[in-house]
Amino acid sequence: MSGTARIVLEGIGVVGGFGCGIADLSRALAEGNDRPGTLSLSTGSGPIEFPAFRADTSRLKEFVPARTLRRIDHFSKLALLGSHLALADAGLAETEHERLGLIIASGYGATGITYAFLKSFINDGDICASPTYFANSVHNSAAAHISIVLGARGPSLTVSQFDLSVPSALTSVRQWLLEGRVDRVLFGAVEELSELIGYAWYRQRGAPRMPMTPLWTGKETAIPAEGAAFFLFSRTEEARAGYCTLETAVTGSPANAGFPLPGDGLLLLGADGRRETGRRYAVLAENARIACYTPLYGSMPAGPAFDLASAALIIKEGRIFPSPGDASLDFPATIPAGGEPAGADRISCLTLAGDKAYGLTTLGKLPGTTGECARED
Amino acid sequence: MSVAPIAITGMGCICAAGGNLSDSMNALLRGERRPAPPVRFASNHPVRYPVFEAVDFEEPPDLLRTSAFALHAAREAFADAGLDRKTLGTLRVGVCVGTTVGTVMSEETFCRGYLAGDEPDMAPFRRILHSNPADVIAREFDLSGPRQTVVTACSSGTDAVGIAGSWIRAGLCDAAIAGGADELGRITYIGFISLMITDDSPCKPFDRHRKGLNLGEGAAMLVLVSERVLRRVGIRARSFLLGYGSASDAYHLTAPRPDGAGLRSAISEALATSGVSSASVAFVNAHGTGTPDNDRVESRVLHDMLPGIPFLSTKGYTGHTLGAAGAIEAVFTAACLEIGKIPANAGFETPDPGIGITPVTEVTPFAGSVALSESLAFGGNNSVVVLGKA
Amino acid sequence: MTTVEKLKKILVEDLNLQELSPGDIDENAPLFGEGLGLDSLDAVELIVIIQKRFGIEIQNLDEGKAAFQSVHTLASYIEGRLSGG
Repeated sequence: MSGTARIVLEGIGVVGGFGCGIADLSRALAEGNDRPGTLSLSTGSGPIEFPAFRADTSRLKEFVPARTLRRIDHFSKLALLGSHLALADAGLAETEHERLGLIIASGYGATGITYAFLKSFINDGDICASPTYFANSVHNSAAAHISIVLGARGPSLTVSQFDLSVPSALTSVRQWLLEGRVDRVLFGAVEELSELIGYAWYRQRGAPRMPMTPLWTGKETAIPAEGAAFFLFSRTEEARAGYCTLETAVTGSPANAGFPLPGDGLLLLGADGRRETGRRYAVLAENARIACYTPLYGSMPAGPAFDLASAALIIKEGRIFPSPGDASLDFPATIPAGGEPAGADRISCLTLAGDKAYGLTTLGKLPGTTGECARED
Repeated sequence: MSVAPIAITGMGCICAAGGNLSDSMNALLRGERRPAPPVRFASNHPVRYPVFEAVDFEEPPDLLRTSAFALHAAREAFADAGLDRKTLGTLRVGVCVGTTVGTVMSEETFCRGYLAGDEPDMAPFRRILHSNPADVIAREFDLSGPRQTVVTACSSGTDAVGIAGSWIRAGLCDAAIAGGADELGRITYIGFISLMITDDSPCKPFDRHRKGLNLGEGAAMLVLVSERVLRRVGIRARSFLLGYGSASDAYHLTAPRPDGAGLRSAISEALATSGVSSASVAFVNAHGTGTPDNDRVESRVLHDMLPGIPFLSTKGYTGHTLGAAGAIEAVFTAACLEIGKIPANAGFETPDPGIGITPVTEVTPFAGSVALSESLAFGGNNSVVVLGKA
Repeated sequence: MTTVEKLKKILVEDLNLQELSPGDIDENAPLFGEGLGLDSLDAVELIVIIQKRFGIEIQNLDEGKAAFQSVHTLASYIEGRLSGG
């Protein structure tokens, strides 16, 4: 939709069940390593334990002093770690935060600290409610902590659109850069698998079991997850090097009318083993060339940000990673094996939400880059 | 860097001051306000803090009260704009809604049950998942454009209006319904009390003896349409969204930056994008929560950047409606531009020497055609919209 | 354990003063700003902590201000309130 302005992805910072950093994600994608950890919960019928993708924030101490973290909860730690990893990956110096915008997407927000806040007054009376927990329970707490730690005084936005949080927020990433409001946007999606979310998952979907097979469309195979995926985007004239361009980011509905699927590119599906969206992915992706990597990072509203990181790696490396699990069943699409050339200049990430809505984000090859990514036809 | 104005063709509002925009405006101009301890929920806190509840409003059982407020205001706004479902169906319409509690995955009864070792009813949880405010409006009116629920705490409503304007300018949609919504419940009530920024008497924005805010609830929605649609559908603009700006304090989770640097940047960007000089601003609808910190910082910035320009806070009539506040105040601002006068700043009696400037104390006529509406938020967000008379 | 000792332990635990141990805290150092480096959010948290740990209600920040100078002044305030003063 734009004329000459291009938005370039300069750096990626990811933390999730697969590990910490873009190298860990790249390795997991190459190896198809889909081994989650576990989540232990108490329930009305006793304690249970089930597979879940948990994220470890211990590397945050490499970037932020312990004292600064003293009242920062797991949710914001995930976001802080993701943002520092993305800035480091882009090689951005600590002083370059002038005209930096910050956009965060989260479906569920800081649910752990929200539950802690409720417990503080449920247990000890309304007068004993913890103000620190309350202050951290707002959805934009992660954005606040990041802007404070980085000293980033540009515009800040947090979006909570459940499953569409990521594509919806990416619309604003594009707008801010195209409008020239800022020169760079630090964008990230973050999700915390707190006790409360884990319990709600268990009650709604039952205890998940291995393996996660999102392309078996009739079956519920989702495994809950947490993590953060952050990206540093900038306008072309500002970019030094990077992974790819951000071509489009749209959300809307209905998904079956005037749906702008890419003609020749690879379609990366956000299908994550939840039965309610599985069939719609199959219908929409019919005859497309698809890949799906959710079994590597699990099911969470921030999941599409990990799809985006995976797509960026494919564009950068010029070849497709294998879609994990036994995907050769009856899914009505072409699923390339690992190692195949990417085969097009563009990759689109498709996300479907509970109702008719969809989000579609398209990444493209960097201008001026050559080689592996050339069209096959 | 000024941008094209976007037509506002319809507005809707519900809050403690009234169930629609015209009733609310009339209450403001009459100087009426009715803060009272909450009647819809109880607290065992020894002090009963006054709030501004929309007591007559009942939400359907399957929706969060927040989203029901949003829907109520959206219906009024679309009707006001003269856009029926048939016409909406021919347009690509986006939805952008600010909220603080409309997407929060917690519900006290559910949490109490879980904490007690029971297997609590999942209905409250499902209701939350079913009630994302932007989804609810998109679903009800079958809207096909972009959707975004903005959660930038107390500046959410202002941000949502600014973002929707940007969508229309970029051609992402033909029209948008934009605003904010928030319900008042125990969790927010207890939370704000714990921060010790609530007043145990009716709030007094900018007054020397101000002690804090009173919470409120409600929603407001604005219908924004592109120039092309304005001509094609043959509807009129009530007013215009001229510009928008936002910036972070990068200072503290709950306290505003003492020098107001974030707010200054937001005002500068809002004025620059609207192509309006500070001298031509007729009035400012300030955030003015009535907390000692907010009003001190905000008035210092107003004094420096918009000297001598009449200002008021309307929170003395509505309470602080959090994610809805920016939207409610935007529609009040636009409505004031139409009638050429602003209400008195309710609750103000004694000038504060620490502030140095005073808000309007009676219904005040003005001559200009441009006004600002400001929001400051937890997390250090500052957002400003500039509105213009049609 | 004296009130001062108890308070130091509570501060470290409840305010999560990561790198400090109770023994590191100077009971006469200012709690806010320089000194222990607490801020306005810690101040309101401290009011809740004192309510919870000692059953003492501090109605507002002004009332707390004099007591919140240092661990020493806070301990004296708590002892005063507990002995009915």
